[in-house]
Amino acid sequence: MASLQLSMTVAEPVIAVSDLTRRFGARKVLSSVTLQIPRGGVYGLVGANGAGKTTLIRHILGLLRAEEGSVRVFGHDPVANPVGVLSRIGYLSEENDLPGWMRVGELMRYTRAFYPAWDDAYAGELRTMFALDPAARIRTLSKGQKARAGLVVALSYRPELLVLDEPSSGLDPIVRRDILGAVLRTIADEGRTVLFSSHLLEEVEQVADHVTMIREGTIVLSAPLNEIKEAHGGASLDEIFVKRIGGV
Amino acid sequence: MRTPAAAIAWELRQRHRWGLIALLATILTLGGIKIVVLMNHTHPELGDKTFALLVPVPLTATVLYLLAVFTFGISGDIAARESMYPSRMLVLPVRSAALAGWPMLYGCVSMMLLWFAMRIAVIFPSAIDVPKYWPALFGATLLAWTQALTWMPYPARGIRIVVSIGLLVSIDIVVFTALENKARESTMLLLLAPFVPLAYVAAVSAVDRARRGDVPNWGLAERFAPAFARSAIHRDFRSAPRAQLWFEWRQYGRSLPLLVGIVLPVGLSLLFLFHEAAVIVIEIVVASLLAPPFTAIFVAATAGKSSSNTSDSYGITPFVATRPIEDRALVVAKWQTALLSTLVAWAIVAVAVPVALVWSDATEPILHIARNVVAALGRPRAIVLGLLILAALVGSTWKQLVQGFYIAMSGRDWAVKGITFATLALVTAGFLGLGWILDSRYRIAVAWGAIPWLMAVLVALKLGLAMWVMQRGFERGSFTGKQLILIAAVWDVCILAFYGVLALILPAIVVRRYFLLLVAILVVPIVRLAAAPLAVGRNRHR
Repeated sequence: MASLQLSMTVAEPVIAVSDLTRRFGARKVLSSVTLQIPRGGVYGLVGANGAGKTTLIRHILGLLRAEEGSVRVFGHDPVANPVGVLSRIGYLSEENDLPGWMRVGELMRYTRAFYPAWDDAYAGELRTMFALDPAARIRTLSKGQKARAGLVVALSYRPELLVLDEPSSGLDPIVRRDILGAVLRTIADEGRTVLFSSHLLEEVEQVADHVTMIREGTIVLSAPLNEIKEAHGGASLDEIFVKRIGGV
Repeated sequence: MRTPAAAIAWELRQRHRWGLIALLATILTLGGIKIVVLMNHTHPELGDKTFALLVPVPLTATVLYLLAVFTFGISGDIAARESMYPSRMLVLPVRSAALAGWPMLYGCVSMMLLWFAMRIAVIFPSAIDVPKYWPALFGATLLAWTQALTWMPYPARGIRIVVSIGLLVSIDIVVFTALENKARESTMLLLLAPFVPLAYVAAVSAVDRARRGDVPNWGLAERFAPAFARSAIHRDFRSAPRAQLWFEWRQYGRSLPLLVGIVLPVGLSLLFLFHEAAVIVIEIVVASLLAPPFTAIFVAATAGKSSSNTSDSYGITPFVATRPIEDRALVVAKWQTALLSTLVAWAIVAVAVPVALVWSDATEPILHIARNVVAALGRPRAIVLGLLILAALVGSTWKQLVQGFYIAMSGRDWAVKGITFATLALVTAGFLGLGWILDSRYRIAVAWGAIPWLMAVLVALKLGLAMWVMQRGFERGSFTGKQLILIAAVWDVCILAFYGVLALILPAIVVRRYFLLLVAILVVPIVRLAAAPLAVGRNRHR
């Protein structure tokens, strides 16, 4: 019985979105989106600007209430149980709205209070790797440094699910390729899950195991990356994207 | 739109079209009333208070609205160090003179047109010799200087408010002094004429500095609290709510004590000049005691924001919204910060006012009042009355902050700004309405008889709303059944305690007991407090 329960828990998807529809006024931003993301691996969410990627991610985080359909993360409704869900998620926002008045050290201390699993040694290691001065105020950091600070506090408690919404826009190519890629792969190798939204397809192709393409609020393709490539004769993700969606 | 001037005009018109339409409708309504009256060949003799309700109230509200529109102040943080000129406009390929000049020109013309329209549309009492031109120039002067001061960067948070109050009041004093001395129209025009060009020069300089990112910094927070700033880096918060309390305090908690600390010495310094004039001493002390609740109204409007980065948005930022903490805990952190902020601000008042009174040798008028109250009520009742007034002022400060959060927590920018304006307009109208009632014995008698009924209706409304809000809170999981019972019990105890204190100081012969109970029910807050978690929930999970 115990082994059956364990296998059910393991098989339970980290994210289960079912028939999710969202309108902003008269405009339908998400249309009957159904998506299941199992535990482990890097999942790339790609689509043109305004396709609905951020809206979908905001539903997963509980920042938007599902008007139609349902969203479950770790089996919970993120709106009804924000503590249970958010304590297991690391999130780096495209907007990067870290409070400018905080110092890097204060940001880390503040964030630590919310996550019992916070790992001081790992946090220090990441901060050193990203060359962040703990006494520096967030508002004095460059865009890339802010993104690194956001990444440090999103990773330091080793979240089961890491959600990155267009994180690359703030990072220089070296950070993107070497650090972000390495970090994401490490997380996936540890059996944790990464949901990674981007319109930089080359980057997604480098790190993702599974790709979901979204167009005008509808999922047009969702499959493991190698299967997608095989089905399209080994074409690059860029080419497949243009073919399926028609350009970014 | 082929020119920057046309583009700026279009943006102002398009963004505020509904407000401008409402303004036009008000003027047309006033004009319509005047036409109807004139068609009946009568010239009604309006009393001072009726006139005040018809002209200065809408005029003041409109002037405030135009000031907010043309300074771009509706979407900014008035206490911030940075210029409030919209940063997106600073990168437009036009000279600073144009960026400052066009909004100033449109604003000044609007203010002048407003005066001329009001002058034509409104029925003035025949006893008033209505001036023709100088009020138009006065309005333009106020607007131009408000723009310049709003767009100027400052070296410390809150300085803009102090400088603006100081300069605008100085202009008012110049004008009212001239009026007291029966200055002619031409003199008034000559007196006011230099102010607008000077404001233009200041505004161009302000926009120029804002474009260069030139924001001076006295670093007051760092200079006066270095130990606190350093220790925060190494501090371990015991729990998530403690961390959130620290966040809220650092985010906005210091604003009220800081502003009170800046404004109070300016007002109390007048005691040294007027310590022999008993009435002025009393006025200064009363104004000092009213400073925290009054300042709290303005602080609360910006304090509801979750991040100072998002100057034009009251939505909870993803940074705060994704903290794994209950909606209720977010609200509690704000309430606790409001309490801390209130206590610190009142500690400043409690120290500054007695010290200023003693130093300036102005204690006698206050002691005289105290002796009279003790003689009239007896020492125990006088002490209770004093404590009650103090508690009411402290409670009012906290309530202003919390109410502001509640509105801001809805995340709707228009609601925050609209309710601030509506509150100011209601308070003005309330005072004028009270004056109008007190003008006639008949009106006083009617109003006195209606007060208990009016209060009973308000109590019924409040209780109905409280039940609805709590039911919604229960359905949404913001409160458990036990918590609702606890809230209701605490509310009941507070009402009974307040009623008991009122009954102690006011004999039954003076005021009926049921009336005191109605007052207690209306004064002790519950609806907005209970609605706060719902508002946060709605804002956090849209």
